Amino acid sequence: MKLKKYLTLTRAGIIEALQFRLSFLVMVIGNLLYLIVVYFLWKAIYASAGTDVVNGMSFTDTLIYLVLATALFNFMEMYTVWEIGRNIQSGKIVLDLLKPMEYRKYLFWSYSGSFVTQFFLTFLPTFIAVAIVTHGAIPLGVNLIYFVLSVVMAVSINYSIDFLVGTICLYTESIWGINIMKQVIVLLLSGATIPIAFFPEPLKTIVHYLPFQSIYNAPLSLLLDGNPATETVLSTLGTQLIWCIIMMVISKLFWKFSLRQITVNGG
Amino acid sequence: MKRKGLRFYAKIYCKILAQDLKSKMSYRADFIISTIGMIFTNIAGFISFWILFRNFPSINGWGYYEMLFLYGFSLVSLTPVQCFFDNNWSLRQHVYTGDFIKYCFRPINTFFYYQSEIFDIKGLGQLAFGLITLIYSWIKIGLGFTPLMLLKMIVFLITASLIMIALQNAAAATCFWIQNSFYVLDLAYRFRDYAKYPITIFSPVFRFIFTFLMPIAFIAYYPSLVILRPDKVPLLSWLSPIIGIAFFWLSYKIWMHGAKNYSGTGS
Repeated sequence: MKLKKYLTLTRAGIIEALQFRLSFLVMVIGNLLYLIVVYFLWKAIYASAGTDVVNGMSFTDTLIYLVLATALFNFMEMYTVWEIGRNIQSGKIVLDLLKPMEYRKYLFWSYSGSFVTQFFLTFLPTFIAVAIVTHGAIPLGVNLIYFVLSVVMAVSINYSIDFLVGTICLYTESIWGINIMKQVIVLLLSGATIPIAFFPEPLKTIVHYLPFQSIYNAPLSLLLDGNPATETVLSTLGTQLIWCIIMMVISKLFWKFSLRQITVNGG
Repeated sequence: MKRKGLRFYAKIYCKILAQDLKSKMSYRADFIISTIGMIFTNIAGFISFWILFRNFPSINGWGYYEMLFLYGFSLVSLTPVQCFFDNNWSLRQHVYTGDFIKYCFRPINTFFYYQSEIFDIKGLGQLAFGLITLIYSWIKIGLGFTPLMLLKMIVFLITASLIMIALQNAAAATCFWIQNSFYVLDLAYRFRDYAKYPITIFSPVFRFIFTFLMPIAFIAYYPSLVILRPDKVPLLSWLSPIIGIAFFWLSYKIWMHGAKNYSGTGS
């Protein structure tokens, strides 16, 4: 019964997303273009480097890593900050707060439909395309299970961070600035722009102590490692789980605290 | 309708600009946060650039400072589109809600009036960042300095800007025909990230596509060759000012064509 009300929101999200078929086409073209640029750029970079493996990553590894990072980004980006910010500005948030469901959950589940559509329409095709282009360089084995587990936790961490940042909009009434700061920090420090293996030393260590690398670097390195040691898997997934809980608690508490301060114009 | 002169338009632009700045100042927190966000974006872009070149000293015969020059060039040339044409981002909402009709009833050029309504100050931070990068790399490469070079630089920077403006206008104008054109605009926006790489890294097919079909190569690569490699400037570089103007004119026509056929929403 409880799950049913959430899945209704998922279904509504799927139907809504399928209304915009043309934008999917444009998005696919955009991603394709990005893949082409990334492919040629890194090919040129590795050709100039003279060696096949740099920092423990070969050209194929880097390509898979970056392409799937983009696919994961498209999959996970829920525009939560925009949604919360716009709801605050328009006053619609008052109506959402009255709903018999926690706002945090309501927002998540009303977006969960796009997870389903994005998975089948962008992530899976990209994954297959990369597997073909790299002639099966993605190891297919037990690592896939770790990858899925890791992605689930990454989604949760990403949502908590988004929700936390969205809550800040209650105070600042600025959306664009807050959102771009979040996006830039997350994309850079999570290894989505450049794999973390390439980071210089002090930065690399710092990044490993931050929650962001759990979003992209953790699932992708689990995926690329065909024969992972149990310790690596456990420590990666464990770190993710810890961050998952920490970020969830912080974002919940911050939201609860902020709700008392809320002032909404009109509505 | 009598054709109004350039002076008339300049006067009107200043008046609208003053109003826009006044309204921006009433949201001071948003302005400050957005500016910081913009600085963040540029710093992050620079950091990823720096990390890349720590691992790989050159890309396809292009050294660190030459790539930095390209990077700075693209930043500076993207400033006008950021500052003066930012209202393109809202065109979709204006058309969708029917607000756009108000622009059609003014006795001045619709395109001019629409674009002049918003001046985005955030772009100035990017300009400063770009100029510093450009001057720094200029000195490091040891290009020397003559008034002629400065003149060339200005002409080709304007050229590059025109191309980017044209791309964005055309992308924004798609909303007159298709709903949810955000993805088209987002696609054009992402071109700016690809502009900072030399076109020679691509295979001939994509070199052709990025030169003639999607003129990304004109945003930084072709124009900057005139300064960077003055002894072997391809014909396309010299032609780029004409191409820039042609593209701009074409995008203006597309935009106006959409605006003229706009029938409102009936409300």
